[in-house]
Amino acid sequence: MKSLNFFALLLFLAGLVWVFTLSEKAVRQIQKSYYSAISPIISQGGKTERFTQEFLEELEHSSDLKKKFEQTKSERDRFKLIASRVRDLETENNELRSALAFKKQTEFDVVPAKVIRKQPLLWGKMIEINRGAEKGLGVSLCVLASNGGLVGRVQLPGQEISSVLLITDEGSQVSARVEGSTEVGLVVGRRTNYGEAPRLRLRYLSKNAALQKGLTVYTDGRGKLFPANIPIGTIEDFESGPVYGEAEIIPAVDFTKLQTVFVITNSPGN
Amino acid sequence: MFLYPISLISLLLLSCILQQFIPVISGWYDARILILPLVVLCASSTVSTAGMLILAFLGGFLWDAQQILVYVQGDSFVYHSPVDSLKFGYSIMLYALMGFLMQGIRPLFQEGRWYLSAAFAGIAIFLYLFVEYLIRSFITGGFSMDNGVIEQIGATSLATMMLAPFIFWILFKIADLCGHPIDYRH
Repeated sequence: MKSLNFFALLLFLAGLVWVFTLSEKAVRQIQKSYYSAISPIISQGGKTERFTQEFLEELEHSSDLKKKFEQTKSERDRFKLIASRVRDLETENNELRSALAFKKQTEFDVVPAKVIRKQPLLWGKMIEINRGAEKGLGVSLCVLASNGGLVGRVQLPGQEISSVLLITDEGSQVSARVEGSTEVGLVVGRRTNYGEAPRLRLRYLSKNAALQKGLTVYTDGRGKLFPANIPIGTIEDFESGPVYGEAEIIPAVDFTKLQTVFVITNSPGN
Repeated sequence: MFLYPISLISLLLLSCILQQFIPVISGWYDARILILPLVVLCASSTVSTAGMLILAFLGGFLWDAQQILVYVQGDSFVYHSPVDSLKFGYSIMLYALMGFLMQGIRPLFQEGRWYLSAAFAGIAIFLYLFVEYLIRSFITGGFSMDNGVIEQIGATSLATMMLAPFIFWILFKIADLCGHPIDYRH
């Protein structure tokens, strides 16, 4: 082995040891610096992603229109297009109305934020939102959807944007209770494959828990991470194990259609 | 002498920025184009072992700064089973391993058969993602391997590999400008 290569290998190993022995605080600081540095780029990247998505949808839409054009008269298609646009506007309007209503009704101090990017990570389940430390966002603040359902918590707050860890991530844990029962447990994210709907698992329940399909699961406020009584989802199935019982949960939030979220600034994680 | 390595480091930083603009290919197994790892792997074919190790360190460091999730733990009485996550720096090790693989076929690359290195970069990306998935499964304790995972990793590797000739073209151009011989034909 050449002496230069040997020296480089030694340096590399020394660097590796240094990196592996970094404390959690130091890693957070590195990530925060990195995140702050690339924040403006992420905002632009989010726009590019949205543009690409819209372009692909437009392409798909165009081919649909062509088929329809062959089948029906052009005038009828035009009205269909208008109707479709009106429906889009209606959906958007409803979304904004429910967001506005949510902000008025909620008992928490919330900061509304727009989702600027979905799936920024290869494996983890995260979103990026257009609010950061300048609006008072900090690590671990609770994030809700406009229907009041739990979305996740702030993972890394940048100056103007923040990343939010979704409750569907397999590293997410939420202390929860089941409505109308004394059952408490931890809701954890479940790894899902491409095309599979996100699911959650409610773990550490009593093995003989009498839980029925459709019961709502709420946060129970223990553990200092999430405020109490936020809906997480509904029970789909219950399995009794040798020690504990586990339930499959359908999330209260449709993560694929998430556009506006609310960050609770007076939650216990603040 | 140092112009080419400095250019490679600049290219690495540029790829880090570009990575933010590359969207997920949602219609095709949620595939991604992993430009940063690709730049590290392609550039590894054009430098010595020492250069490759520096690139692997920088690339892995940047990648982990972007991808690693450090979970905030709640009250240990309630959250009694702490969430384990991958250790910051594991990518550096994986990048170096893949870099050694790329170095293994460097003689072929130096003979001018860059297309073999381009194809091998795709294989290295596949191995990288596969090993990463296995490590993640080992740490989180929930191993499940099905077609969905393989398809997602495969589609990502293939999509990334498609870009390898372009990266090599850029590397050849940079090498020409810097007067750095990366090929026996020069």
